[in-house]
Amino acid sequence: MKVLTFGWEFPPSKNGGLGVACYGLTEELLQKGVEVIFVLPRSQDTVGQARFLFADHERQVKVRHTDVSLRPYGQSDTIIDTLVGYDAQGKPIIRSRTILEEVHRYAHQAAAIAQEEEFDVIHAHDWTSYLAGVAAKLASGKPLVVHVHATSYDQAAGDNVDPSIYKIEQEGFAMADKVITVSNYTKNILIEKHRVPAEKIEVVYNGCDTSEPPKLQPALSELKQQGKKIVLYHGRISIQKGVDYFVKAARRVVDVDPNVMFVISGWGDMTRQIIEQVGAMRLSEHVRFAGALWDGERDRMYQSADLVVMPSVSEPFGLVPLEALQHGTSSIITKQSGVGEVLKHVLKVDFWDTEEMANQILAALRYPVIRQQMVKEGKQQVQNLSWTSAADKVKQIYRNLVQYATS
Amino acid sequence: MLTVCPYFHVHQPYRIKKYRVFDIGNDTEYFNDSGESDLNNRKIVEKVANKSYRPTNKILKELLDRHPDFKFALSFSGTVLDQFEEYVPDVLESFQELIATGRVEVLADTYHHSLAFFYSLPEFQRQVEKHDRKIQKLFGVKPRVFRNTELSYRNDLAKWCEDNGYLGIMAEGWGKYLGWRSPNYVYRPAGCTRIKVLLKNYKLSDDIAFRFGNREWENWPLSADTYANWIHAHHGDGHTINLFMDYESFGEHQWEDTGIFDFLRALPEMVFRHPETSFKTPTETIESYDAIGEYDVPDVLTWADTDRDLTAWIGNDIQRDAIAAIYRMEEDVMKTRKKDLIETWRKLQTSDHFYYMCTKWSNDGDVHAYFSPYQSPYDAYIAFMNALSDLQLRVRYALEAREVKERALREREVAEDTEKKADNKSDTPPSESLHDGRPAWKRWPHKFGRWWGKLVTSFPFFTSPKSGKTSS
Repeated sequence: MKVLTFGWEFPPSKNGGLGVACYGLTEELLQKGVEVIFVLPRSQDTVGQARFLFADHERQVKVRHTDVSLRPYGQSDTIIDTLVGYDAQGKPIIRSRTILEEVHRYAHQAAAIAQEEEFDVIHAHDWTSYLAGVAAKLASGKPLVVHVHATSYDQAAGDNVDPSIYKIEQEGFAMADKVITVSNYTKNILIEKHRVPAEKIEVVYNGCDTSEPPKLQPALSELKQQGKKIVLYHGRISIQKGVDYFVKAARRVVDVDPNVMFVISGWGDMTRQIIEQVGAMRLSEHVRFAGALWDGERDRMYQSADLVVMPSVSEPFGLVPLEALQHGTSSIITKQSGVGEVLKHVLKVDFWDTEEMANQILAALRYPVIRQQMVKEGKQQVQNLSWTSAADKVKQIYRNLVQYATS
Repeated sequence: MLTVCPYFHVHQPYRIKKYRVFDIGNDTEYFNDSGESDLNNRKIVEKVANKSYRPTNKILKELLDRHPDFKFALSFSGTVLDQFEEYVPDVLESFQELIATGRVEVLADTYHHSLAFFYSLPEFQRQVEKHDRKIQKLFGVKPRVFRNTELSYRNDLAKWCEDNGYLGIMAEGWGKYLGWRSPNYVYRPAGCTRIKVLLKNYKLSDDIAFRFGNREWENWPLSADTYANWIHAHHGDGHTINLFMDYESFGEHQWEDTGIFDFLRALPEMVFRHPETSFKTPTETIESYDAIGEYDVPDVLTWADTDRDLTAWIGNDIQRDAIAAIYRMEEDVMKTRKKDLIETWRKLQTSDHFYYMCTKWSNDGDVHAYFSPYQSPYDAYIAFMNALSDLQLRVRYALEAREVKERALREREVAEDTEKKADNKSDTPPSESLHDGRPAWKRWPHKFGRWWGKLVTSFPFFTSPKSGKTSS
């Protein structure tokens, strides 16, 4: 079995959960004997490392980089500046394109790649790759799996979706032979908002890393020494992530317990608005902006926090509570999150119900036993949440499609 | 001769509303949810009254009227009786009618459906006594057979029953303790010489309570005729078939559309069709048969789950934390001598609160999810702990107020003593001297105007007639 996979990001380039998920799934598919050709839109600074990561599987995996440069998660008209070379004076030549333009360019490349390569199935991850997947299908006639990691409704945090992304989604879902969603939550969005027939959709939950991480130097030790309790938000600061609700809840918490410190780790297009909100709500002494934290820095923060909140307005899956759990910290998540379908040992709240969010934060800090138990039992529960079982399901989907295509 | 001994347990807890951290110190009502959720106790009791209590009691009354030999037993928690009185008095009356026939025995129990026996014997005894008074007041009978919350049982509980004059006790008939023996006999609890234990036949009991409406079950649909045959099959290898289950099995756990009411209506007649088969109350059963062996249960046995232990109530950390916290308060709560605080504390002891915090997800976990009005065990824990925190505050305030009052009383007594002595000593009018042993403010209040005013507002008893007279 050979699969031509189109992705948008891949570790170790630092982005959101998409790259992490693509990596986890690909590794396990390889283990199960599926040959994966992973196409990424462009060679970036991470080129060498990416190849290096796959060196063990050189015969099975080829990482191809097409000539585009992109960032995921933007709106379709987000402008991207790309360094395309240097002029005679050594000044960089910057070319600006919208994501939408890049997505179409990617699709053109995909058609060419599909004609060169041999494979049985096409797998396209996230909306930025859907058109590439569709183009590859048209060029090769092979079955297409579209893997939904987020929808335009999640990104817009409501019905005010980006029409061009919605159009791409509709084309991708219509052309796909099978659509994979990362939760029933997302499956329902596809059924209700995109009118995709339920039987076309399979839910494959993301896996997670359940290895026991090393104990790191604590972060924010000066706060800890003052006896402050730390509540962490980690993720992009965008409308989808509900950081504004988190700040509102923080106000309510601090009114009752001024000894709580809120840490916001991340960056995004709403950062400025959130900083202003914190000031306007007179929370500056109680909220710290840690900037975007990665790897060890992020893990230290997870380990040092007393509680993690994922206040997403709409979250197809949500890696944060699983990462927090791995580092021994319990979470509050919103009911509008897919991960809650597999991780029961969290507190759940509607994103808009900041009063209840504050109640849960205060209660969790007040009664430490609840946090201990959510970590203890949560860790047991996520043992079943492996990329191996996700890969099994995906492989079965491939197999069914190939059978169907050849019969 | 084969006995059929049915016993139905009637219970509703006082569910805690969504009580938030912000409510601590501001809201002393924990059980008064008035919304549409399943935490609204009135709504639940009214719903279950319609689905279960009213129709089932109607059928049971008809059966008692039609079959003069039909008998059974009921047990009530005090918390359900209180809610009947408050929300659905007609349901209570219908139970009173059943019991007035003399063929429905009422069992002893804890008032608050608590696990107090395993945490505080004095509190357990107080709850059993309170329950006993309530049963005598409402039904005019004195219970003689004991059953504990969730049929929880242990050798020392049986011993307690024996020491306190009961005839017998009920327990689960569980293989771990029965071994090869049958639950269909009367046994002697280990360590007891007089009382007997009646063991639940869980197979036949659960056929009704759990499996009746299950379409996947191989014996679905179960007719009263078939069921009576199953009972009859025990002729010769047993004395009594003890069918113990939640009363709410009829109509609430098994809905009307499963045919449960028709089953119940037909059952006595089907049983009577077989010769040498009769219904008995637990007391009659205990008195009719000798114990054939010993039932030795050193660890807690209950009727719950596949584990038949207390893990559904105290199996995880939040459950153990919550239950430990409630019993840690005992000394302070009792010291307040405040009825409302003690009663609220007891309502929080009801085992259901801990059951809602259960996290046994697989198999059994589904049952817990079904019976919980909370969205998650953690929500249940938070509401409970917040309410408990408020109660702790109220208890502390009450104790502080009591201490202040007692200290003031002591001071007044001392003051009055010295005053008497002084009066006896001389009849001379009060002098300017501060050395005659009388507090200065009693003689010259005008001199201490500000101090006096403060004192009066803080301690109103200073203006009571007696001290008022002496100071004027």
